[in-house]
Amino acid sequence: MTDAPRRHDTLFEVEEMELNFGPQHPSTHGVLRLKLKVDGERIVDCYPVIGYLHRGTEKLFELHPFFQNVPHTDRMDYVAAATNNLAYVGAVEKLTGLVIPPRARYIRTLLAELQRISSHLLWLATHAIDIGAMTPFFYCFREREEVLDLFEEYCGARLTLNCMRPGGQPFDLPVGWTDRCRSFVEGFPAKVDEYEGLLTENRIWKKRTVGVGVLSPESAMAYGASGPMLRGSGIQWDLRKAMPYEAYGEVDFDVPVRHNGDTYDRYLVRMEEMRQSARILLQCLDKIPEGPIMAKRPRVVKGPKEGEVYHGIEGPKGEIGFYIVSDGTPNPHRCRVRPPSLLNLQTVPELAKGQLVADLVAIIGTTDIVLGEVDR
Amino acid sequence: MQDFFGPTLYEFVWVPAIKIALVLFIGVLPLITYLVLAERKILGFLQVRTGPNRVGPWGLLQPIADVAKLLVKEDVIPSRAVKWAFILAPCLVVGPAFVIFAVIPFGPSAEVTGGFDWFVTDINVALLFVLGMATIGVYGIILGGWASNSKFSLLGGLRSAAQMISYEVPQGFALVAPLLMAGTMSLTGIVEAQIEQGVWFLFWPHWWLPFGIAPFMIYLIAGVAESNRNPFDLPEAESELVAGFHTEYTGMRFALFFLGEYANMIVISAVAVTLFLGGWSRPFPNVPSLSFLELGFLPAGLAGVLWFSVKLAFFLFLYIWFRGTFPRYRFDQLMDLGWKWMIPASLGTLFVIGLWKILA
Amino acid sequence: MSAVKRFLDKIMLLDLLAGLSITGRHLFKKKVTVQYPETRREPAHRFRGMFRLDEDRCIKCTLCARDCPIDIIYIDWHKEESPVTGKNEKVLDRFDIDVQRCMFCGLCEEACPTNPKSIWLTSKTYELASYDRWENLYVDMDELMDWKIRPAYTDREVL
Repeated sequence: MTDAPRRHDTLFEVEEMELNFGPQHPSTHGVLRLKLKVDGERIVDCYPVIGYLHRGTEKLFELHPFFQNVPHTDRMDYVAAATNNLAYVGAVEKLTGLVIPPRARYIRTLLAELQRISSHLLWLATHAIDIGAMTPFFYCFREREEVLDLFEEYCGARLTLNCMRPGGQPFDLPVGWTDRCRSFVEGFPAKVDEYEGLLTENRIWKKRTVGVGVLSPESAMAYGASGPMLRGSGIQWDLRKAMPYEAYGEVDFDVPVRHNGDTYDRYLVRMEEMRQSARILLQCLDKIPEGPIMAKRPRVVKGPKEGEVYHGIEGPKGEIGFYIVSDGTPNPHRCRVRPPSLLNLQTVPELAKGQLVADLVAIIGTTDIVLGEVDR
Repeated sequence: MQDFFGPTLYEFVWVPAIKIALVLFIGVLPLITYLVLAERKILGFLQVRTGPNRVGPWGLLQPIADVAKLLVKEDVIPSRAVKWAFILAPCLVVGPAFVIFAVIPFGPSAEVTGGFDWFVTDINVALLFVLGMATIGVYGIILGGWASNSKFSLLGGLRSAAQMISYEVPQGFALVAPLLMAGTMSLTGIVEAQIEQGVWFLFWPHWWLPFGIAPFMIYLIAGVAESNRNPFDLPEAESELVAGFHTEYTGMRFALFFLGEYANMIVISAVAVTLFLGGWSRPFPNVPSLSFLELGFLPAGLAGVLWFSVKLAFFLFLYIWFRGTFPRYRFDQLMDLGWKWMIPASLGTLFVIGLWKILA
Repeated sequence: MSAVKRFLDKIMLLDLLAGLSITGRHLFKKKVTVQYPETRREPAHRFRGMFRLDEDRCIKCTLCARDCPIDIIYIDWHKEESPVTGKNEKVLDRFDIDVQRCMFCGLCEEACPTNPKSIWLTSKTYELASYDRWENLYVDMDELMDWKIRPAYTDREVL
């Protein structure tokens, strides 16, 4: 049954049991396999096995020209497609030196923040249902429907958006979109209050999440964690403030930071991020300028002969970045993705050691991984 | 019949047998199957969606579809499972739950209705009987978890058993409180005591000084834990242990476990209604101006059954409401809650109630 | 004082009651279920659904086939003398799309240079499920032009 050594130092002979938190499991978000060594209820060791969703995305990038790769980026972190698109087109623009018009920048910011809200709603829904509360799932999806409807009106698809191109935006905002967006955003903080009323002060929720999966700031930095994993442990680092891109330099928002590094703090960070996203959206809707939406660019964009660039943005799960090497042809020579979920997943063995098996579910939920991004 | 087998056999065997068959087949089994539908509908309504509504109007034929589906499923017994235990386990969960219905009074006794008692039997240690039967259900769960020969099932079964045993202690203490208030262990006697004293034991001794709320809350929480329901449903937590002790059960055996859980729910609610909410008596049992609530136009104590059903429905709705709202407790926190908080709290309430009984 | 308040809060389970009231309120609110297939939501104007082709407008530039990220558009054309104008014109032999592998990204529609477009996705049709893979999901030119929009929302077919 197991190859663990038997311990002879206790009164009874104790064996560690090897448990497979298999690829098919209702609460690993996707096909993640965790090989656990448990001693009764306590986890002694946790070894993640990934690769069940590998589709060769990075190789696919090399086979097509720059602008054809945008649909492939949608499918990595399929929950937050717009931020993937944004990272990729931002990298291509940096590589080729394109400057995009201001209206396009604002539209991109709007889409990215809507996507952040949608991704965090999905995170909250699945995290809550893993811990046992089934109703926030439905409430969050009700709000997410509205966001997906907004996306559908803008670019024609709800999940795999393909809504940005190197050089600007392919479509302009349809008539009435800003009004619908505004009415959604104005009603949104009340909904966040509803979720908070169900969970934040709830003693059962607090018992399940306070003190569970504590990540120290040094560990977080050593593992390369980013996003709410980092900000929940006290490190104030948000790429939207540190290296502003698109229209983030021109809007006013706060970045929530908490200092305990446990699951409850990360939950609070993400809830507050949703509220701040609503704030950014309102400001963008007010400030969006008129003008062209696509820069002047050749039909087929080519990178420089020996160019390389890294461009990272703050996605909902963390820092998503693209490292692109070009060789003068319309196809990239190499396109490497910095997946935030993979680097956040690295922290799971450390977070899980010494915790109970029931906490493992909470820990996987709080790292907010999407296997499409981990495996690409 | 009476002179064929002798009067004692008639009075003690045949009549109760027929009565309990009626109670089970007309009352309990349809209630359990439609409780499944009600839970899905009410959970749906709590979650801004309609529940099942395709099979029959408002989904009313859904339980029949579910039963038909479960009956025709392939019956899989794992090859290395312990067969006799595997087959016996669901019966041990369901059987005791049904047996408890023999002592619960659904309506008044023969003196009030004129010849027909609305209960199957009235033993004078009914409360003890209820507690005893409830414990046998634990054995069924352990057996089911162990017999499946699967790590997940074993863990689930052991956890469930530990949880149920730990919460039987505060449940028992909380049930002693109505015993103190009424002075008798017979369930019919307790209901009659509530009518006599003119106050439901929930609001005992006076509605403005309700000591009865404390044992009621403790019994409610312990009852939710006993029936493995949210927020104490870790043994069957889908996201953690797949399905706990009933992972390996399919078809009708699984249906029996499922039915057993709902039967347990109904039994605990029925006992709570009898002990704390006045059983079949009307609200405000001692206020004569509200005697229209007695519904005297209904014959032979049917009014009592109606009130009992309303209160039972309220309890079952509470169970479903809890399931829709709360997250789940982790196992060690659950045990902590049971041993460190519920037991001292229940002992404390017993002390206060006993003191009041002596002094006042 | 706050210690007393915290103790009372713990005993009276106020946080749990707040949660119960939130879900309880939803019992009486309007439900968001859409009873499909009796009621269908109409997709947005720009919704990327099934293709349609207009052969007359098509100038056979094959830009759509070149831009497709998964190369599922197969175009063949040849030049022949047109009986109408007497000049050498391109004639479309084959315009097949392998819908099984299509990801409905819309790059082909963007690439089409004609105005109005000759190939477009905004037909609002998303119910493409089929029992037979090769019968319905590999559409050739005639099917692309003639298939019935299902369900029928409006009889407008254009962008």
